[in-house]
Amino acid sequence: MSRGIIAILYSPGTNCHEETAAAIEYAGGRTELVLLRDLLDGRTRLGDYQSAVIPGGFSYGDHLGAGRIFATMLVACLRPQLEEFLEARKPLLGICNGFQVLTESGVLPGRTPGNRSMALLENHSAHFEDRKIRLRVSEDTCLWTEGLTGEILEMPTAHGEGRALCCDGPRAGTRVVFRYTDAQGRPTMDYPDNPNGAPEAVAGVTDETGLVLGLMPHPERVSLPAHYSQDGLKIFRNLVKWLER
Amino acid sequence: MSIQSIYTLSKDDPEARNWLSFLHRRGYPQLKNLVIERVYWLEGSVNLDRLMPLLVNPLYQTPAQHSQLDPELGPIVEIAYRPAVTDPETPSILAGARALGESGLEFARLSRRYQFWGIDEGEARGVAARFLYNHVVERIREPQEVPATLRPTGDPDPVATVSLLDLSDEELLALSKARSWYAPLSQMKVLQAHEKAQGRPHTDAEIEILVQSWSDHCYHTTWKSLGLLKMLSEATARINHPLVVSSFKDNAGGMEFYEDCVVTIKGETHNFPSSIAPFGGIATKHGGVIRDTLGFGKGGYPIGGTTVMGTMDPRMSESEVPAGALHPQLIVAESIRATSYYTNPMGIPMMHPVYRIHPGYAKCFALGHSVGLIPKKYALKDAPRPGDVALLMGGETGRDGIHGATASSTGMTGETLRKESAAVQIGHPITERRFTSAIPVLRDHDCIRAITDLGAGGISCAVGEMGSETGVRIDLDAVPLKDKSLTAWEVLLSESQERMLVAVPPEKLAEARGILERYEVGYTVLGHFTDTGRLEAFWRDKRISDLEMSFLWEACPIDPLQVAHPQRNLHPLRIPEPRTEAEWGAAIRSVLGHYHCADQSAAGCRFDTTVQGRTALGPYAGKNHTMPTNLYVSAPLRGKPYGVITTLAFNPFYGEIDSAGLARLMMIEAITKAVAAGANYREMVLCDNFYTPRVRQETAWDLRAMVETISELSVALGVPFISGKDSSSGTFQTAGRQIDVPPTLVVAAMGRLPDVSKVVTKEFKRPGHRLVLVGKYDCEALGGGVYADSLGQRGDRLFDAYDANSIRRLWDTLLRLHKVNAFISASAIAEGGIFLRIFEAAWGSGYGAQINLDAFSTHAGAPQGVHVRSPRGRKDGAIFGEFVGSVLLEVSSDFNLNEQFGDVNYLVIGEVLPDPQLVLRDQGDVVWRATTAALGDVWSKTFREVIE
Repeated sequence: MSRGIIAILYSPGTNCHEETAAAIEYAGGRTELVLLRDLLDGRTRLGDYQSAVIPGGFSYGDHLGAGRIFATMLVACLRPQLEEFLEARKPLLGICNGFQVLTESGVLPGRTPGNRSMALLENHSAHFEDRKIRLRVSEDTCLWTEGLTGEILEMPTAHGEGRALCCDGPRAGTRVVFRYTDAQGRPTMDYPDNPNGAPEAVAGVTDETGLVLGLMPHPERVSLPAHYSQDGLKIFRNLVKWLER
Repeated sequence: MSIQSIYTLSKDDPEARNWLSFLHRRGYPQLKNLVIERVYWLEGSVNLDRLMPLLVNPLYQTPAQHSQLDPELGPIVEIAYRPAVTDPETPSILAGARALGESGLEFARLSRRYQFWGIDEGEARGVAARFLYNHVVERIREPQEVPATLRPTGDPDPVATVSLLDLSDEELLALSKARSWYAPLSQMKVLQAHEKAQGRPHTDAEIEILVQSWSDHCYHTTWKSLGLLKMLSEATARINHPLVVSSFKDNAGGMEFYEDCVVTIKGETHNFPSSIAPFGGIATKHGGVIRDTLGFGKGGYPIGGTTVMGTMDPRMSESEVPAGALHPQLIVAESIRATSYYTNPMGIPMMHPVYRIHPGYAKCFALGHSVGLIPKKYALKDAPRPGDVALLMGGETGRDGIHGATASSTGMTGETLRKESAAVQIGHPITERRFTSAIPVLRDHDCIRAITDLGAGGISCAVGEMGSETGVRIDLDAVPLKDKSLTAWEVLLSESQERMLVAVPPEKLAEARGILERYEVGYTVLGHFTDTGRLEAFWRDKRISDLEMSFLWEACPIDPLQVAHPQRNLHPLRIPEPRTEAEWGAAIRSVLGHYHCADQSAAGCRFDTTVQGRTALGPYAGKNHTMPTNLYVSAPLRGKPYGVITTLAFNPFYGEIDSAGLARLMMIEAITKAVAAGANYREMVLCDNFYTPRVRQETAWDLRAMVETISELSVALGVPFISGKDSSSGTFQTAGRQIDVPPTLVVAAMGRLPDVSKVVTKEFKRPGHRLVLVGKYDCEALGGGVYADSLGQRGDRLFDAYDANSIRRLWDTLLRLHKVNAFISASAIAEGGIFLRIFEAAWGSGYGAQINLDAFSTHAGAPQGVHVRSPRGRKDGAIFGEFVGSVLLEVSSDFNLNEQFGDVNYLVIGEVLPDPQLVLRDQGDVVWRATTAALGDVWSKTFREVIE
């Protein structure tokens, strides 16, 4: 049986699609770079893929708000395909700007395209933060972190808008999968271990099904042997395992 | 047509908070609060409810159809783009509206309303004018204004002819200055003669093309006059390095990498615009040098960049700032904001963020590099052929950057800030990012015969250069404009950013169009290449340029330059040696806290260092991720072990003492940094960037001395320069005096590595390991050092102890030892001497170190030839001396030094300690000690205080 193909969905301004594909391929997955424009123009369909990743960058220059235009395109023009994708229980990942797209479109945390309930606000420092941070994996069930509960993962963050705002607190379907921690592994509000000032040290969340994950840090930048850590590979291997089942 | 507006406020606004604290420090302590309201202006018939999800996220923004600011609380200043200029966000708003089915939206604009609590209207406008907007494209929008339309409006001036026939020399020069041509008399006279010979006056467009193309910025008249361009490129030719693929001909230089790939490097300065409008100047510095990579061969891909800044001391008081210059604190802070604004969205990792100071940088030094990757088969351009399409792609053309080339080729005066602000470009990284994705696709589909970027001189220089061997005919009406009031010569000269010119084979045009549309890149067919040997341009059905290419490229007169040895006013150092622990502590704190040595990660952490997933070693590493590595190592072929290593050397002090010495030391420093990490200098290339004062006899002497030195040394070392750039306009004139930049040369080294995992880094690895200084030292040669500078002295003698043979012997020894993993950590000595390396290596590891000062004065254990001037040697000179070329190594305790180092000098100077403390001992006695935490406070404070 052929394994599923993972769409790496990118638009003008996305700038992490190649390394995201490379990391997933290294983890054993099959990827295809898919231009949002090709989906919008009907040259390809989301349904052709078994999983999708929206990588980092500054889609459409982050005009009007990080991820806003990409999310508008998804919700306004591709809603049926997106809903079909979610109903088919296909895994979806948003990294950094991709996470912003998922919250701006309402896919995270509520799986409700067009209905936003979480936002990623400008960092408390009011500038871009390039940091090496630690993430603690929570016990919440999520296909992307299966078997990693309690682990501390090291990876970079690189964003200007990552301060998670959950409109009714991180509950009601919002499940926090990753928290920024200090050197002792404790969730922290201290800068720069928590680079953006996110309440409750939220760095990544999943939906009620555990299939959709959004996180601000960049696992794809710590996946290959040349990187300072290969912790990111653990997340991508979980996807590959799931697709192989 | 109806115009509606939506006013939005954010529930919390870090940007406003940031501006508030910025303005508090900039002389507005009475400011109590700052609120920013953002306004959408929408023209057309639209259903606002349906559009709202695009414009506002209700979770953190509140919209209203009227302003939500209470005018009682303070004056409000509204900043908007000028009516003739398009907002960068407009296309995104229109595209989003179309996606939502609101195609009735015809045009959109944005504005920002700043409300200031606690200052009056006049002060508020003053703040806005100084800090909050760019006068070239933005303005204050008055509250009573009711625009009839939001669309860009404006009418261009007609094309005129300019006759020079009857003008005297004085009149020619006066005209040259009045029109901002800045052409010297010799050029004006050539134009006069040409007018006579061709029997018709030139159009204004033709003269503008000629003076742009002949400016020092584009034509390198200073360097040509001194024979320097040839000198350096001939040195590279003589080396005939097997890995050099392209040098000094293309937009960047290229070195063979692995697996049929080439890596490229280029450095560009953007000193003039950055001095008068730092945000725009620095943003476009990055945009421009990145396009040099994109315009290499048939289109390279940028995989790394740098930002290198030289300014006056940002801690100087307002009254010390020369009239007409911006405060250096503003330049540094704005440059950081601009680098972050541009390079992060471009998705290009920052390799080296470097900030230096010198009182001569009244006209600042703003350098950026771009490193690229390209398949070898695309590394050389073809020449355009007659019939090839001249395709212009990227952003629209506006009023920004007109006369940038000529203005930047001249000196800067107190008047410049007011007069030439139109010469500064505006950068929009999303536009450049679009074609950065599309160019490799165009290239791999063979749609590119040749490609170049539009930089200085805009369309005129790009088509003039690309069509120089054939001829070119262009139609300026085809150029998409963001400013409708541009006349023909302004369209030709505009230095609007984010544009590239491509020669497309005619049979590939349809395919190229398809690719550009898929990638959402704007483009236009500008014209085509011809076989006429002429530069022909049309506008509104009129021929507005008809110049012979031979005249354009061969008629520029080169004025002869005299050189004379400069009189330097140098004094020997008078530095009392520290005697007590308190004196040692004070000396150490002054070095660690010196701007050049201090922790600059507060800036560096605002730049993405790991994007692209190629970063093997970034600019910061170690325990706290703030230890500077002074290296960048990329693994460009993902999943493969091969690496590109880059290093930089930049010292603004050494050149004051000896310009040739500076040149030698910068080369040796850059290469040694890479060799200490394990890179082979035989597989390395260099990039030079010069910044010197406006040419006079003495400054020409310094410039020539530097170029001669690096040419000769590169041949002797076998390490070639493959690209570079010069600027000879580093003079600021104000109130009857002139301020010259110090002779400045930045050398960047780029090497290739077979395996990135073999790179040796700086941080200590294990307590008990010995610390060994390898190479020469001279504890008396403190001239030009940070230690002397911290005491307000420069000195009269540099540490300049290596010639080509001795440094090669040292490098070869290091490489031999690296092969057998003999050293565990390493750092090349540079500013701040051994002490800074020891501190950083301790800081990055969590360990400490002990240094035995007596090691430097007793010869015990040292082989012959150790370079000690005085029998005893200064003990402060031992730890602060900048022994460029020498290297500090950490070796295990069972390492056999005598056997391994052979005839290369070495000195065991101390050991790694388990606790995070540094200890200086002399004859066994502790002369000074401190914890790294306490030292870290000093080290991390200086720069952070400047920028926060």
